[in-house]
Amino acid sequence: MLTSHVKGVTKGYPLLIKATEVKVNEVEFNPQFVSRMIPKLEWSALLQAAEGLGHRQDLPAELVSEYEKDEEFLKKVHRALLEVEVIEGCLQCPESGREFPISRGIPNMLLSEEEA
Amino acid sequence: MSEPGREAGCVRFFCTAGSGMEPFLTEELRRKLEAEDVTQLSGKVLFSSSVRIHSVVELKAAERLFLLLKHESPLQLSSLSSSAKAAAELKSRLLGDRKQWSSAALTWSRLQGELSQGRGAAANTSSTPRGRRKEEGRGSEEQMEEEKYCDGKSGKSGKREGEQREEERESRGLRGGEEQEEAQTLEKKRKREMSCGVEELILEKRIKRKNHEEADEKERQDEDDEEERRMISSRGSVQSGSRKEKDRAEDGSVENMEHVKPAGEEDQKPAPLSRIRPDITSSVTFRISCKCTGSVSRLFSSQEVSRVMGVGLSRMMNWKVDLKNPQLEVNVYLSDDLCLLGIPLSRLPLAHRSYMKTTGLRSTVAWAMTSLAQIQPGSCVVDPMCGVGTILIEAAQEHRAAWFLGVDIDDRQLQKANENIEFAELRTRIQLLKASSMALPLPSGSVDALICDLPFGRKFGTKTNMAANLPVIVAEMERVLRVGGALVLLLSPQLSFLLKKLLSPKDPTPPPGSEVCPCPPLSSTEQQTVSTQPGVKPSPPQERDTQTGPQPPPPPSSLKHHTTLRVSLGAIDGLIHKYVKVDV
Repeated sequence: MLTSHVKGVTKGYPLLIKATEVKVNEVEFNPQFVSRMIPKLEWSALLQAAEGLGHRQDLPAELVSEYEKDEEFLKKVHRALLEVEVIEGCLQCPESGREFPISRGIPNMLLSEEEA
Repeated sequence: MSEPGREAGCVRFFCTAGSGMEPFLTEELRRKLEAEDVTQLSGKVLFSSSVRIHSVVELKAAERLFLLLKHESPLQLSSLSSSAKAAAELKSRLLGDRKQWSSAALTWSRLQGELSQGRGAAANTSSTPRGRRKEEGRGSEEQMEEEKYCDGKSGKSGKREGEQREEERESRGLRGGEEQEEAQTLEKKRKREMSCGVEELILEKRIKRKNHEEADEKERQDEDDEEERRMISSRGSVQSGSRKEKDRAEDGSVENMEHVKPAGEEDQKPAPLSRIRPDITSSVTFRISCKCTGSVSRLFSSQEVSRVMGVGLSRMMNWKVDLKNPQLEVNVYLSDDLCLLGIPLSRLPLAHRSYMKTTGLRSTVAWAMTSLAQIQPGSCVVDPMCGVGTILIEAAQEHRAAWFLGVDIDDRQLQKANENIEFAELRTRIQLLKASSMALPLPSGSVDALICDLPFGRKFGTKTNMAANLPVIVAEMERVLRVGGALVLLLSPQLSFLLKKLLSPKDPTPPPGSEVCPCPPLSSTEQQTVSTQPGVKPSPPQERDTQTGPQPPPPPSSLKHHTTLRVSLGAIDGLIHKYVKVDV
């Protein structure tokens, strides 16, 4: 699941995703879940992330209104959000350029002592 | 007797629960099972419910589930003069009469049947309104039998009343309308009825099949069934007092017969259950487990009670004692406050979750914590020290439309958490992140609920002391939580004390994280404003600024205390604290 859009990072938000290994899973579509998640996303961040991974598909540039009813749309979001998984790669802070590695699907965001 | 409640379909159970978990269990019972007559004792909760057994075994706050056999006032044995008299009194009080036991055994069998029936099938709700357990039970009984013989497919499907059950396996004891009527009758009868007609047919078939089976018990059962069959065929007459056949008396199964399809498959491998309904009264093997405390234990040891009861019961019911692998286990609890007998409904306790691979915190306590966190669909829930992910998994099982994030600093823990998540198939809803709980890479106010089991020990992370870092950790938690969000923490009593001091209103100091740089320092370039104690782990800015003195500035917390509960974690106790973030 692309998380960078949900959690932000300082002013360094959103994080850029650079993936070296991406996996696309098949996940059961739960429209209620997806429509609840959407308000929490920053749409442009999601777009950017999806694009960075080459999985933008046809996500529209802007969030459509009344998306709860639009199943097609929800399915697209579902795909980008839940089915595309970054296994290896990194997240990069747009401001500092600091890269956080992602290994086996788990990003490592520990800061070293100097960075505190 | 299994106090099947006045209304049919209602079975009385009790659950054991860890100390401190009883209120959670009571609440869960009311909410999920619409349980009635809930009685909360210390360590146990008794209740009646008529929902499907599958829902009952989904209870999360309970340790073990039992079918209630007897619940009586405590035994008063000390006043009796001799131990022989006491033994006699014990026997008479505890054993009661045959009917109670037969009917309990029947109910138990039925429930077992339902359970195994539904094991593969999705839980579909009974199409028939009743969904009474009994009703289903009846069906399951039949099924049970079938299962015994074969996979219980087909054949039994016809439920009476034309309620078509889907294939046994699938239907899971859905029995329709007919059941209702049955419901009125005695449990046993009900069972019988259903099975009657169908059973007959099925049995016959099965019997043939059986012969192919190697299972001894099957054969045994078959024989019994056969007998029963014959009995049943007379339909309409109650037979063999000790057998359930009596129940067969009811007719009505005739219709079922029509529906009965030949149990086509022979794949009847020996039924998963060795429970047999029909002959349960005749060839049950059992064992008694007893726990005695209080004055009774002064007179008798647990073993003695077990023995006395075992002998008495086997004589009365003609059941056999099997200490190693009994079909039926009877648990007896005798104390100064109560006298409770029950039959466990499963070998493994409910607290043992099928979806957990490696547990950390007890699943029941983890679930209790999530029940406090006010999780709604669409919530974003974080566990900043998730360990192997127990809390997140329990929460994700319960709340299907919420999203979870687990953070931990230790690779090995994250690895196990990853495995757990895979095992529970919750990959898409639980995300893991390696980070420090003292510097959460999350924007302020972005989390709806935060649940955490803080390490009790002195070791936190690799070098630092938990107690010393508590202020920072709590501050981070507070920061990322949104207003109105809930914070649920499990702490040792010592840490709880510290927490209280930390969060009780004191001299105002700049609230942690609410104004300055909302996010934890992520990169050095960003944090010039933040203070620094480079030697220490990253910490929220202003706090550190002011915290140069020896005493940590007590933040005027925006966390409002809600509840504190004590729970047992086995060898030690823990305290669950719930706070809600308010607007400051």
